[in-house]
Amino acid sequence: MALTAFCGTRHHLATRADDHLVNRADDRDVTVGAVISTNGLRRMFPGGGGLESLSIEVGEGEVLALLGPNGAGKTTTVRLLNGVLAADAGSATVLGIDPAVNGDAVRSKTGVLTENAGLDDRLTAFENLWFAARMRGLGAGVAKKRIDAMLEEFGLADRRDATVQGMSTGQRKRVALIRALVHEPEVLFLDEPTSGLDPSATRSVLDLIARLAGEGRTVVLCTHFLGEAGRLADRAAILDHGRLYAYGRPAALAAELWPGSALTLDFGRPADASQLAFLRTTPGVITVDADENGAALRIDDRGRVPHLVASIVARNIDIYGATVHPDTLEQVYFAIEALIATDTARQSSTEQAA
Amino acid sequence: MNVDWSVVRLVIAKDLRAVRRSKALWLPMLLVPTLLLIVLPAVIGLIAAHTASPDVTEFLHRLPGDIAGPITKLPQRQQVVVLINGYLLAPLFLIVPLMISAVIAADAFAGEKERRTIEALLHLPVSDRDLYIGKLLTAFVPAVAVSWIGFVAFALVSNVAAWPVMHRVFVPTRLWLLMIFWVAPAVAALGLGVMVRVSARARTAQEANQLGGAVILPLIFLALGQATGLLLVDPAISVLVGAVMWALAIMLNLRGASRFTRDRLAATI
Repeated sequence: MALTAFCGTRHHLATRADDHLVNRADDRDVTVGAVISTNGLRRMFPGGGGLESLSIEVGEGEVLALLGPNGAGKTTTVRLLNGVLAADAGSATVLGIDPAVNGDAVRSKTGVLTENAGLDDRLTAFENLWFAARMRGLGAGVAKKRIDAMLEEFGLADRRDATVQGMSTGQRKRVALIRALVHEPEVLFLDEPTSGLDPSATRSVLDLIARLAGEGRTVVLCTHFLGEAGRLADRAAILDHGRLYAYGRPAALAAELWPGSALTLDFGRPADASQLAFLRTTPGVITVDADENGAALRIDDRGRVPHLVASIVARNIDIYGATVHPDTLEQVYFAIEALIATDTARQSSTEQAA
Repeated sequence: MNVDWSVVRLVIAKDLRAVRRSKALWLPMLLVPTLLLIVLPAVIGLIAAHTASPDVTEFLHRLPGDIAGPITKLPQRQQVVVLINGYLLAPLFLIVPLMISAVIAADAFAGEKERRTIEALLHLPVSDRDLYIGKLLTAFVPAVAVSWIGFVAFALVSNVAAWPVMHRVFVPTRLWLLMIFWVAPAVAALGLGVMVRVSARARTAQEANQLGGAVILPLIFLALGQATGLLLVDPAISVLVGAVMWALAIMLNLRGASRFTRDRLAATI
């Protein structure tokens, strides 16, 4: 996806996002035997909102991060993929099954953690889990054994027979996670799995998601926590107002946004004008800006760093460190959000002028 | 495709377990039948046994012949007991199945939205129809069961409390039997049908109950009409009323079933 793709009209943005998927210029983006596949998937609601057009593919054992502000269409996407909502247009398959045709078959192989834990407060943890497990076809003996084992694993064995009403947010979230996993699903839809959790529980959940993906389960992760998305995601889809603006592997998205690599130089103080001018003329440097401890650069190849540092030393500039930073999903997200905002403003001013 | 009764049973068991845990739900459902079907007939029987009975001849003249005839032939002390426990309470009794089915249905349908448990339910691999049948029976079965158990208690209390006056079993009457086995299940089904429709629009169980409360009014008018003799429900009318209620209930519930789809539910949460 070229940078110019983010600067066109909204229509072009969406088109280019689709093109990126369809063209698959990068071999790493080819999904062999996609577990989840959508093509122009669309569902709009009469009151506004929904999903305009989604074309993505997710492979076995991959984690797809669905990112975007509230109302972006993340929950609608999950509902469409799990056959809870019917599509207005487009198509989808999950594990080779069309959720619009055989929703029950899809749902029997998927596990869902809804944003709200969705547990009946009046029932105990065990009763909530028992209901879900039995509804998913687990036999009574298997269900009991598995629920007890998972409550133990999630540190909730002592809360087994406590009503959910008296549980903390973290405990509820863990019970809901067990409910999503109790039938050992092949695909997981996790909506804000760490919201309301303390740092320790958050880390446990993130480790768990990584482990589940490692076991070959495909995970669709809806989250506002870009750090955790960056840690886990093999692919990211950035949605806004129901439209897919960017989709791909985080590194590929970053590469298309920004050429080269980010490098920070620590001079112990902000770089002065002559230092910035020198850096600008150094081979391989694409952009240079002063920062509070020196300078932030983009260079075309991280292999140029030793030579660059040697040049700085040769000019008698004190240098305390040089660090190449991989571009984070967070940076990618905010860069794309900024481009979306610019595009939206341009669009509305065009409409006003018309 | 056949109904998966194991799913239906699981839905009923889960919902009723939750209702049992909610005192605000089951307490009124226990109090109203207790007052109507145990306390009231006991008080009437005891009053009849221990006080001078009022003259109800004038009131009996306003009743249809097939109801008034047998009562008129009774001794005056027995007339009041048979009139009230045997006939006048019968339409009032319909409040029991109506209230129970409406309250549980509101909890089972609108309550899922209010508790924000509906989405998790929709993500389960069960058909819309099985889910709907489970929810319907969650409300219908207890409504009919409580009505029938309540009626057995009513018959026992009425006969025992009025024994010193009656010296025989006088309840159930033909009207009561019709009310219990024909009209009461129809009323439960009708209340259910109304609440399913109302719950589709309501955001909370309380809102659904308030909106659905309107259905109880015709029954209260019916009971008042019966008590004042303005509107007289005899067995023949009961058969007709029951038939109309069944027809309405079936229509409403079938319509409710056609609208009870994941897509429709998910689009409104």
